[in-house]
Amino acid sequence: MKQSRNIWQNFDFWLFSAVLILSILGIALIRSSIAGNIELIDHAQRQTTFLGISLVVLFVVAAVDYKYWTTLIQPMYLVTMGFLLFVRTAEARFGSARWLEVGEILIQPAELAKIVIILTLANFFANQNHRFLKLSSILKSAVLVGGLLIWIYLQPNLSTSIVILVIWAAFLWITGIRMRYILIAIGLVLFVLVIGALTEFSFLEVYQKDRITNFLFPDPDARYGETYNVDQALITIGTGGWFGQGYNQSTQVQLRFLKVRHTDFIFSVLAAEFGFVGTLVVLFLMVVVIVRCFRISQNASDTFGSLIAYGFGILIFFQSIVNIGVNLNVLPVTGLTLPFVSYGGSSLLSLMLGIGLLESVAMRSEKRTK
Amino acid sequence: MSIFPQKNKKIENWRYLVLFILIGTIFGFYVLRLFDIQIIQGEDFIAQANDNRTQVIYEPAIRGTIYDRNGYILAQNVPSYNVVVTPGYLPADEGNIQEIFRELSALIDMPVSQGDTDDETVRNFTPCYNDLGISEIVYIATTNWPFQSTALKCDVSQDVAMVVMENSEEWPGIDVEISSVRHYPTGELTSEIIGFLGPIPAVLEDYYVDQGFVANRDKVGYAGVEQSLNDVLAGRNGMEVVEVNVAGEIVRTLEEPIEPVPGNDVVLTIDSRLQSIAREALISELEYWNNFSGRTISNNGVVIAMKPKTGEILALVSYPNIENNRMERIIPGYYYEQLSNDPQRPLFNHAISAEHPPGSVYKMAVALGVLNEGVVTPEYEIEDPGTITVIQRFYENDPGVPRQFVCWDRNGHGMVNFLEGVAYSCNIYWHKVAGGFGDEVPDGGLGPWLMSEYAQALGYGTVTGIELPGEENGLVPNPTWKRLTLGENWATGDTYTAAIGQGFVLATPLQVLNSISTIANGGKLMDVTLVNQVVDQEGEIVQKLTPSVRWDITKDPVINMYDGNVETSETKSVEPWVIELANQGMRMVVTEGTASSYETDRHADLFRNDSSRSAGKTGTAEYCDNVAQEQGLCVPEAWPSHAWYVGYAPWDDAEIAVVAFVYNGKEGATLSAPIVRQVIDAYFELKLIDSSAEP
Repeated sequence: MKQSRNIWQNFDFWLFSAVLILSILGIALIRSSIAGNIELIDHAQRQTTFLGISLVVLFVVAAVDYKYWTTLIQPMYLVTMGFLLFVRTAEARFGSARWLEVGEILIQPAELAKIVIILTLANFFANQNHRFLKLSSILKSAVLVGGLLIWIYLQPNLSTSIVILVIWAAFLWITGIRMRYILIAIGLVLFVLVIGALTEFSFLEVYQKDRITNFLFPDPDARYGETYNVDQALITIGTGGWFGQGYNQSTQVQLRFLKVRHTDFIFSVLAAEFGFVGTLVVLFLMVVVIVRCFRISQNASDTFGSLIAYGFGILIFFQSIVNIGVNLNVLPVTGLTLPFVSYGGSSLLSLMLGIGLLESVAMRSEKRTK
Repeated sequence: MSIFPQKNKKIENWRYLVLFILIGTIFGFYVLRLFDIQIIQGEDFIAQANDNRTQVIYEPAIRGTIYDRNGYILAQNVPSYNVVVTPGYLPADEGNIQEIFRELSALIDMPVSQGDTDDETVRNFTPCYNDLGISEIVYIATTNWPFQSTALKCDVSQDVAMVVMENSEEWPGIDVEISSVRHYPTGELTSEIIGFLGPIPAVLEDYYVDQGFVANRDKVGYAGVEQSLNDVLAGRNGMEVVEVNVAGEIVRTLEEPIEPVPGNDVVLTIDSRLQSIAREALISELEYWNNFSGRTISNNGVVIAMKPKTGEILALVSYPNIENNRMERIIPGYYYEQLSNDPQRPLFNHAISAEHPPGSVYKMAVALGVLNEGVVTPEYEIEDPGTITVIQRFYENDPGVPRQFVCWDRNGHGMVNFLEGVAYSCNIYWHKVAGGFGDEVPDGGLGPWLMSEYAQALGYGTVTGIELPGEENGLVPNPTWKRLTLGENWATGDTYTAAIGQGFVLATPLQVLNSISTIANGGKLMDVTLVNQVVDQEGEIVQKLTPSVRWDITKDPVINMYDGNVETSETKSVEPWVIELANQGMRMVVTEGTASSYETDRHADLFRNDSSRSAGKTGTAEYCDNVAQEQGLCVPEAWPSHAWYVGYAPWDDAEIAVVAFVYNGKEGATLSAPIVRQVIDAYFELKLIDSSAEP
């Protein structure tokens, strides 16, 4: 009992509180986003249910020592690959086969893949004992990543593919990649861009190319489509002013001019109804979550724990800046949601599982994270 | 403590530091970006958001009805039933939708589906004018405006409309929309007066939109009083500002709606009975002479009847004209093209827009001048030998070249005084008094300057102001005009030809009528009008005809005097006895002059035994326009000519004046005078009928 009490003393309440506030705020914003759309009517309810389940998962995962997960990594990796292969043969939904129907619940294997990749890479890099990463280690990690990434990319799901690539790159960074490899990587990216330009990016799907083209060269006359969504998001954010139009009061949201408002553009809903002050609060909470992740990583008692915390920190950081960047029209439309806030059961569940792991790491670190 | 071996690899803190800096930079940038969007550009985005959600609905105003002077409808609105669909209200179940489509298809005789639609059909989609099936139209409407009604089939019968309305419970989303369509019951009888409607032209779109019209929906007048009185007839659209959602569904009203103001009704001065008689008289006369000569002499003519005392137009026929009832719904492309290419120019109002030499009718302007200026006395006799030779001079000491002038009667009229000059329309008499002739008429006669002054006093050279679009002002030439436009001096012969309404002189049929009407009215030039009354929808008279005198030439000093070629400050009016004599001269035209009889069997009497005691003036105006030139008709000494006749009755207290003009109609007495007589006689018959009908 004594030991257990010590563990819970290290529970990171800052992180937990920020995450909980964001999730509850998310449900409120989802409720506002329904705006009389019959298809969305039960979404706030569903998200609440998922939040309940997720919190249970969070505490269970936090209570369990994260080191037990090392034995599960390999089977999880194989199961995820199996899921991904299964959805490839399953019925296509929303233009790309991303969903796996388990009973009543739709699960996105891609969300699962993110967790598995983080755990796999954390485990892999924790076992590398050199000060600098060896090239062979980099290549081995690339194979691990590629084993899942290829199926996600083929779904096609460009945004999750990019997220996984970013996580991998972030792992390479933190585990001590040499500067010269970074330079080589930059060289490679440039090379791909040149090749891409020569082959007119034939390896990208049409819609993927359209999104990038729309972002780089918007058609000023477009009334509908990608540009329309982004333009409406910008208008919606702009109507917020200092304090917003009030909850359930944004005309852009309530009259449904803003599209995909419960997922991709939920940040715009926030900006419109709660204004600049509201967005500052959410940005602050996001920064709290991300910074806490990295602090837990720095204070972890072992490398595996440290890298788990780091990996989830990167995941949350990257998804937030990309999603908000899309809303602010500084990045092309990607389909990445805002962590904890956007509607999405699988996403919330996997993120909360990650927070559970983080808490597990935090609770078992030698010193209390400040 | 743990069953797992602890692996502790030192992670370099600077690598975390780079990440913290990255977090700070990116979130910092986002805060700046948010500040820019929400605070700095906030107003713009709020405006855009308001633009998204607000929509202005313009409820159409009812256009006023046009009546003739007896209350007979010339233009009105009739309901037109359109079957419309609002895709947003169709049932959710695809099977139910198809069932509705099938039932509706049978009712309105329109296929459920007409094959696939491509981008082109969608872009070119015009409600009412397409050959798409129900499904295609619903598809287009669903994509573009799911909560606005879109016409499936237009102008269905009232019975079909009733069935659709009865089924509205079972057919959600399908409805009947009643729109109003302009109807012209009298069609081509009055089309040159009424005109027709058309869509708002692109060049005037801003102008009309500012006045609350809706482009692509509201129609505006394209011709006739529909155009000239558009402001009176159109009324003003109602306006309602509503909030809509992204699907176009109206959520609520934002501002107090403004009710539409219906247009005013217009009662014209036209008597459609007289209009009909005038038109028939013209057409039958044209047909008779075309048959008689075995070839087409003319298919173009004008008849106008007016009241000299008030300036009211009773009938105005421009033939050929258009069938404006074919333009009620839309202007059919092929028909419009056919009209545009017709050499007789049916879209052109010949009564007010065609400029022709007025011929001998113009002599009446010279007549007033000659007596008023004392060039000759009424009794003074001038010799008409049939042919005279004049030395044509372009400047004072020009040795000149001889030019021959002939009378229409080559045998001459012998010694002719003023009244005979008018009655027999003796060209030589008018040549001599206008241009001077040796000792007979010394000092160069009336001269070109004063001749133009007297013509202008009778309304030549300026528009009459009739409420019709496109009126032309004709041409009264003078030496300055000739120098400026032709770069040539005025010659002696120019005065001679102008004296008989030839040469440079041009006038519209309405001007010709108005000039004689002025003399018939004792010198009062009236403002010509078509509008008897303007009545609002409550029946209140908004505007009532008040005859307005432009000027009275016996009182107003409208004649400017000249010293040589220089206008002086001296002005004068016309002596009443001069007008009296001009009237007597025109009475003589009918009793013993050019319009008293004619040699053919048809109209042998012409104006003899004329119960209405009319007076008038014939005109046979030689011309050589591009049409005549193409046909090789312009032969010197035998030029083609237009037929003119202006008559009025009774001659000493005129209540009606009528002009008839027949393009290429040869002699005025032959073709035009009989038409005028029929119209004058009909006028008095109608007057008798009307007076006996009233208690």
